[in-house]
Amino acid sequence: MATKTIKVPKMVNGAPTAEVEEIQVEDYGNQSWGPKDKHRLINTKIPRVDAPYKTTGTAQYTHDVRVPGMLHGRLVTSPYAHAKVTSIDTDKAMKIDGVKKILAIIEPGGEIYHEGQPVVAVAATTPEIAEDVARAVVVKYEVLPHVITAEDAMKPGVQPLIPARGRGGGRGGNSQGTAEQVDAALKNCDAVVEVEYRTPILHHCCLETHSCVSDFRGEQSATVYVSTQGTFTIPAEAARELGVPVTGVVQHMGGGFGSKLAGIGIAGQWATRLSKQTNTPVKLVLTRREEFLTSGNGPGSVQKFKAGASKDGVLVALNATQYSMPGIGNGNIAAQPYQYKAQNVYRQAITLATHEDGAVPMRAPGHPQACFAMESLMDELAYKIGMDPVEFRKKNVTDVAWHRQLDTGAKAIGWDKRNLTPGAAKGPLVRGMGCAIGAWGGGGGAGSQVDITIGQDGSVSVAVGSQDIGTGTRTYVRAIVAEELGLEMTDVQEKIGNSMYGNSSGSGGSRTTASLAPALKDAAYNARVALSKIVAPLIGADPDAVWFDNRYIMGNGKAISWKQSCAALPTAGLAARGAFQAPLAGQGAHGASFAEVEVDIETGHVRVTKMCHVQDGGLIMNRLAVESQINGGMIQSIGMALYEGRVMDAELGVMINPAFNDYKLPGAMEIPELIPIIDDGDTRDVVIGIAEPGNIPGCGAIANAVYNACGVRVRETPITPDKILNGLMQMRRVNA
Amino acid sequence: MAGNSRDPKSGLSRRSVLKGVGVAAVAGETLLSRMAKAADAIPGPDGTSLDQPMSGPVKITLNINGKDQQVTVEPRTTLLSALRDRLEPALTGPKLVCNAGTCGACTMILNGKNVYGCSVLAIDAVGKKITTVEGLGTPDHMSPVQAAFMEKDGMMCGMCTSGFVTSVSAFLKTNPNPTLDELKQGLKGNFCRCGTYPRIFEAALSAAKAQSNVT
Amino acid sequence: MNAFEWANASSVDNAVKLLKPADAKADPDEMPHAVAGGQDLLTTMKAYIVRPPRVVNLKTIQGLDQIKSDGRGGLKIGATATISDIEENAEIKSKFTGLAEAAASIATPQIRHLGTVGGNLCQRPRCWYFRLETVQCKKKGGDTCYAESGQNKYNAIFNTGPSNIVHPSDLAPMLVALGATLTIAGPDGSRTIPVQDFFIRPDQNVRKENILKDGEIVTEIQVPATTAKSTYLKFKERESLDFAMSSVAAVVELAPDKTVRKATLVLGGVASIPWRIAKAEQSLVGKPLSEQNVAQAAALALEGASPLEHNGYKVPLTQALVRRALNHLNA
Repeated sequence: MATKTIKVPKMVNGAPTAEVEEIQVEDYGNQSWGPKDKHRLINTKIPRVDAPYKTTGTAQYTHDVRVPGMLHGRLVTSPYAHAKVTSIDTDKAMKIDGVKKILAIIEPGGEIYHEGQPVVAVAATTPEIAEDVARAVVVKYEVLPHVITAEDAMKPGVQPLIPARGRGGGRGGNSQGTAEQVDAALKNCDAVVEVEYRTPILHHCCLETHSCVSDFRGEQSATVYVSTQGTFTIPAEAARELGVPVTGVVQHMGGGFGSKLAGIGIAGQWATRLSKQTNTPVKLVLTRREEFLTSGNGPGSVQKFKAGASKDGVLVALNATQYSMPGIGNGNIAAQPYQYKAQNVYRQAITLATHEDGAVPMRAPGHPQACFAMESLMDELAYKIGMDPVEFRKKNVTDVAWHRQLDTGAKAIGWDKRNLTPGAAKGPLVRGMGCAIGAWGGGGGAGSQVDITIGQDGSVSVAVGSQDIGTGTRTYVRAIVAEELGLEMTDVQEKIGNSMYGNSSGSGGSRTTASLAPALKDAAYNARVALSKIVAPLIGADPDAVWFDNRYIMGNGKAISWKQSCAALPTAGLAARGAFQAPLAGQGAHGASFAEVEVDIETGHVRVTKMCHVQDGGLIMNRLAVESQINGGMIQSIGMALYEGRVMDAELGVMINPAFNDYKLPGAMEIPELIPIIDDGDTRDVVIGIAEPGNIPGCGAIANAVYNACGVRVRETPITPDKILNGLMQMRRVNA
Repeated sequence: MAGNSRDPKSGLSRRSVLKGVGVAAVAGETLLSRMAKAADAIPGPDGTSLDQPMSGPVKITLNINGKDQQVTVEPRTTLLSALRDRLEPALTGPKLVCNAGTCGACTMILNGKNVYGCSVLAIDAVGKKITTVEGLGTPDHMSPVQAAFMEKDGMMCGMCTSGFVTSVSAFLKTNPNPTLDELKQGLKGNFCRCGTYPRIFEAALSAAKAQSNVT
Repeated sequence: MNAFEWANASSVDNAVKLLKPADAKADPDEMPHAVAGGQDLLTTMKAYIVRPPRVVNLKTIQGLDQIKSDGRGGLKIGATATISDIEENAEIKSKFTGLAEAAASIATPQIRHLGTVGGNLCQRPRCWYFRLETVQCKKKGGDTCYAESGQNKYNAIFNTGPSNIVHPSDLAPMLVALGATLTIAGPDGSRTIPVQDFFIRPDQNVRKENILKDGEIVTEIQVPATTAKSTYLKFKERESLDFAMSSVAAVVELAPDKTVRKATLVLGGVASIPWRIAKAEQSLVGKPLSEQNVAQAAALALEGASPLEHNGYKVPLTQALVRRALNHLNA
């Protein structure tokens, strides 16, 4: 960073005048963003630059790709949760007019571990015929016993029957004592609760299902389009199938939420293999049912607690057993006591495999589940010792960020007006409030390469291969570069979502922005320095003493327009490259959610009436997009709290709600007044990813609000009318 | 997720109760005979002949965004698939998301009313006026609704956006000055996973205001 | 979905001819099917629950979509009138309020714009086992009702066996409550019957939900004139888009002294057919809709309910809806 004094012409209405003035500017270089409140574009509200395409239906998603001669792929999937494939008969299928290829995914003798597991892949000339072909393939199975419920999975000897896909034992850690120490400490507590919380398997429900178009025609290269969170997984993984160099394209993608981190995925693997074997482009789009059954999910959980607090509000002891239920996959639940401190903690983490599709990362993996349970527990303890739930939380978290956020959120929701006696109101409509806090990493990392090309005509193009999973990457790509070069948003053109451009990381762990933004800043800084060297002599200035603003480059009392400056470039223009700069990124995001609900105690209906979420995130790239992210997090937590969950028939081993009618996402009528609050009390001037944390505490806040309203503590999500009514009936029985 | 095991001894079910192999084989057979029949059928020129059963590939004319366009479909081809998979050039604004009339991403306007493109057969749309999101505006000339979506950030991943823009556009024609609650009622049939609803509401109400100021 | 033949019918007679099955012994789900809005039929075809070799379009029959006065203060509603036609019809809104409310409660605007009255009455159940292609339940010709001992939160509390579905239609309970009739056309001519008699219980025929024989279609619904007030109260788990967890169609005629002259109460979402609760209706006649009388009717309404493992909540829920519907009509 350097303070510079630069002589510039006085600007009037965006144009230089003859009058010269001296200005003092801070050049923060490429190791600091400078103070948060001094930005011209970033940290302001910027409309999405791809909005004109998304709102007119012209943005192209993998689903939308249609290349000449393309075949349509389709999967045959297992109806059984656990079985052995005994035979695959393709005779009838091969006679259908339009069939081009049928490939076994599981050969006879191979084992099936969950319903919906792909067994055969087919390709045909139209989507309808591909479906006919898939249905005409006759697969015979030997059905084997399956395990679905937590109770069954806990039985001795059951777990080894399920060969999990790289299953870990769950994170151990976090214990600060033995079970005996915790038990002893519990004896001295003023309030003790022993409870169990459950959450079902959740589904990402990306609106764009996993999909791939493999444009391979038997030639020496191929272009492969995949709806993936990692553009750069495409060239590597698709080339393995196709045997030729591959360009990967992810122009736009319809949501990922973690489910599209597994490279090109099933759709990619079988589209490329079918296209390799037919020397023809193949499109494979998972159906919605397949998306539910075989594209990964978020693990279910059973969390058993024994916990105690002192009457002055200290969480004294916690014995937690956390079962994660990731199907045949691997997915941990964040370690308890989550973001709180307790004097004595004993924790066991156990994975319970079942014959269900494996868990994969899902927006803040393991956090909403852990948070719902811990925040419900904290609430139960707070009521038991008669302390304001906000105060009780503050006493047991050390980070001041949460203290600040709890105060901010309490004010926004009107916490001081909350119901003080759960279940006391006569109804039928009773209101209540609840709160919860959450934590996330969100750090960045090295590996991104950003290339900026400035043309003689003044054009600026920024290329980086990164995908935009919907968070608004394109917009801040432009904003960072435009701001650094003294330009406007419309002066910069971004090129992303293509593996021909510079490398970038996959979009996981809220790391995209924190990884990419520093590299963008670095590239833009390098472009500015390089351009200064060329342009400064034109105005007789020292390259170190020029300033970029208002589409002018200024120094030595003169100003030269951006267009004129660029005209001085060589024919090839100017190229600059940027890489990740660690001082520009940070990590550690905090958030607090507050919810107000209205419970109809005659019907059990819960309506969230108002919700706010306070989120820090260091230096915000685009306040409009971040507020949208926070809204989105709150809405997904409404879904988890009130509507969503995989429902299994344990005997049949099948998911019985693999459709949007039955796996219920919140819709327009479920949306309350939402207050997204960016926590500007956070003074960190570094980029921190916040894509996930907005989703974490909302579910716990809603569950606590439901209790506050009607006195029913629902310990298993989703909190549906039947559970409320059953809870109320039980309360009446107890009170009677 | 409540325990639902009905065999307390093992908790494991060995029953082979699912419909599997046999039915698939039958489906294959009937399909083959139908395919053979399809080749003999003589489809009507525009697919609208009354009382005349039609099967196999049928050439139909659809009026899409004000233009008559020919497309070859099967009777089972949905309007959505006809536009996305068969029409040249494709119209991919309406998205295939649930294929079951439960999400709204494929919303189109049929004779002035918003409908699910996945839940209309192409052959059944002959003679009707079809408007897709592409027919409402272009990136260079966005409609007031589209412009409001941009201004208010009424989208994230964008997969639901065309459906929402279409539903909002159709809804504001019937109710140009809605309350927030009326608007929500009008948008019940469109779902978003990223959670853009509040901004979509803002965009729709702001577009309504802008339009009422014009008229 | 499977390939099929498509035919645009020009008349009711020709539709009936086109619907004549080539194989009279075929599985009911593999018979030719009539389509109007197609909002349920296409969904069931995509899931291979029904696999018709031929689909006959009724929307091309002129005049079948009309809503007309019967000249005596009642209504004649063509079978292909859309649900939104009902919802928006000014006369229905003012004189048959409950019917407009029932229409408005259905699904989403997109579905109501295409879905028809006839189709709504003929739609298939929503039981999730029935809707899964891979599960061969009793309604599909199998030998087990999986809901009975499985996940039955949304299933029937008035159980007649051998299947535990609930009828999904919102118009059906309201039309039954309004005393509507409907006309069926078929190979043997046409007949008009009370809507109440249109629906059949699974113990009568587990494969079907109504009395339509192969080749028969619903052509018109007649709603008689009434001076009674009506309302339809539907409880959904998810307000934006859902079927009824429970619903109440109520028609009450009050005397000038505010006592009940006649009451008709029909429940939806609790039984395999629209569930008329005569005892509750009777209990109100001659009495004012006082809190106590209303509560008594609500209690009687649920008499005989025998919930399954996961749907006991429907009892207090439905009682609450009955009370609210009656209180609303008393207001």
